[in-house]
Amino acid sequence: MLKDVYVIGVGMHPFGKHGISTRDMAFHAGQQALQDAGVPFQQVGALYSGYIGGTMLEGVSYAKDYGLTGLPVVHVENASATGSSAFREAVLAVAGGHSEIAMAVGFDDMLTLGMRMGMMEMIEGPKVEQIVLPAAFFALWAVRRMHDCGTTVETYAKIAAKNWNHARFNPNAQRQSDHEVTPEEVLKSNMVAYPHTSMMACAAGAGAACAIVASKDVARKVANGRPLVRVIASQMQSESYTEGHVFLGAVVGPSELTTTTSRAAYEQAGVGPEAISLVHVHDAFPIEELMYYELLGFCGPGEGDRLVAEGATALGGRIPFSTDGGLIARGHPGGPTGLAQIWECTLQLRGQAQQRQVPGARMALAHMMGAGSVCVIHILSKEK
Amino acid sequence: MTMQVPLEKDYFRLPSGEPGDLGALLGSYSPQTGKYFYPRRKLCPITSGPVEDCELPARGILYSWTYVKDPRMGTLKMGDQSGYGVGQIDLPGGVRIQSIILGQQGDWEIGMPMRLAFQPVKMPNKRLDDNIEHMTFCFEPDRA
Repeated sequence: MLKDVYVIGVGMHPFGKHGISTRDMAFHAGQQALQDAGVPFQQVGALYSGYIGGTMLEGVSYAKDYGLTGLPVVHVENASATGSSAFREAVLAVAGGHSEIAMAVGFDDMLTLGMRMGMMEMIEGPKVEQIVLPAAFFALWAVRRMHDCGTTVETYAKIAAKNWNHARFNPNAQRQSDHEVTPEEVLKSNMVAYPHTSMMACAAGAGAACAIVASKDVARKVANGRPLVRVIASQMQSESYTEGHVFLGAVVGPSELTTTTSRAAYEQAGVGPEAISLVHVHDAFPIEELMYYELLGFCGPGEGDRLVAEGATALGGRIPFSTDGGLIARGHPGGPTGLAQIWECTLQLRGQAQQRQVPGARMALAHMMGAGSVCVIHILSKEK
Repeated sequence: MTMQVPLEKDYFRLPSGEPGDLGALLGSYSPQTGKYFYPRRKLCPITSGPVEDCELPARGILYSWTYVKDPRMGTLKMGDQSGYGVGQIDLPGGVRIQSIILGQQGDWEIGMPMRLAFQPVKMPNKRLDDNIEHMTFCFEPDRA
């Protein structure tokens, strides 16, 4: 990056099924981030608005709620990686010297998105491409993993239960269990696509999240005694051809996409996985989180099951994953999901994550996949 | 008499009715790399060179499978069954196909032979007097 970039403010509207409009949620998250940053909207030089399910007008229209300042506003859409992509655009705007301060806001309501997709199918008729659902696609990964590595359904259930229990400490999470969730409970929930049960599937709901990034000069001025949070890597890749490449119906591309994107991110950051304190991934289903342990380099191939058995990826473990509940329990509305990861990573690096706090957190990695497909990875680092 | 037509063009050819003809998936062949792709590509994904249209083999090996019980994120109905199988099938030439697979959980094992088949798709707003049946491809265990 040409210039150093820092996260100076984050905000969120709780994820869930609460019937609040995306407009109101986006305003809430944006205002919270501006207050957290300590800058007025009038100083923001560019706004990137990430959503999947709205109309073509919403990105620019919702921005008017923050103020009419004439700033450039861009709608960003990259499926599940929409929020991560909007954040990356804001980072690049500052890194390239185009803005001193840039804002990325993401919002969506997955429930209305599902209805819209159903209406489109009623109008246009079904398509060959639509046959395989995300739950089925990742279940194909899970069954093959069981065949190749001897992974058990209990391992998948342990990952899901861990993320449900992390979410108990996150007031913005969609799934708020009133008791400690057990793997047995996860396995007893309704089967969605073998071996995935409903408690293993990411929570679909609504929400909004926002992050504000700025140059070093601005970050220092508004730090107010807090540690600075620097973006030391921002990488995005689309698919490269691999043997057995699936073009039709694949929700995301080959798993190698995560490996190559993370290698680029580690190289840009000048660190390896051993330097990372906590990780957020596209854990739409537990098979993903399990595979990303290995694909991101936190253990060797086939060793992810051992990390789960040891509790290494839970809060208090060697390398906690999905500290806010992840997609499985914090939720996955679409547009804001990647920005919720940035919210959590920033709080962790500032030491503000309360009961979820990873002691001594210094670097955090945020990974998202977007159907189509893309992989986006950011690494954030704490600076005094 | 009901006439069967493909759900979409350029994805597959329905069986001709000739003995032994299972129909075929319509793919691409890259002379530069010797690789096959599905569905048809405009250019070779590896070299961006030209590709040739081809029909892919109708038999392959099951790479993975699942059984979907709760199709919440889509409305495409495959008949009136409560769930359906989905698999990935490796065809000769390095092509992996993702597809509906016929049968019930317990019918499939990774590595088993599979063959191309077709089944009707329930269309929205279909009239009772409509004599067109839209078909899509699937695979089934090849027990021959």
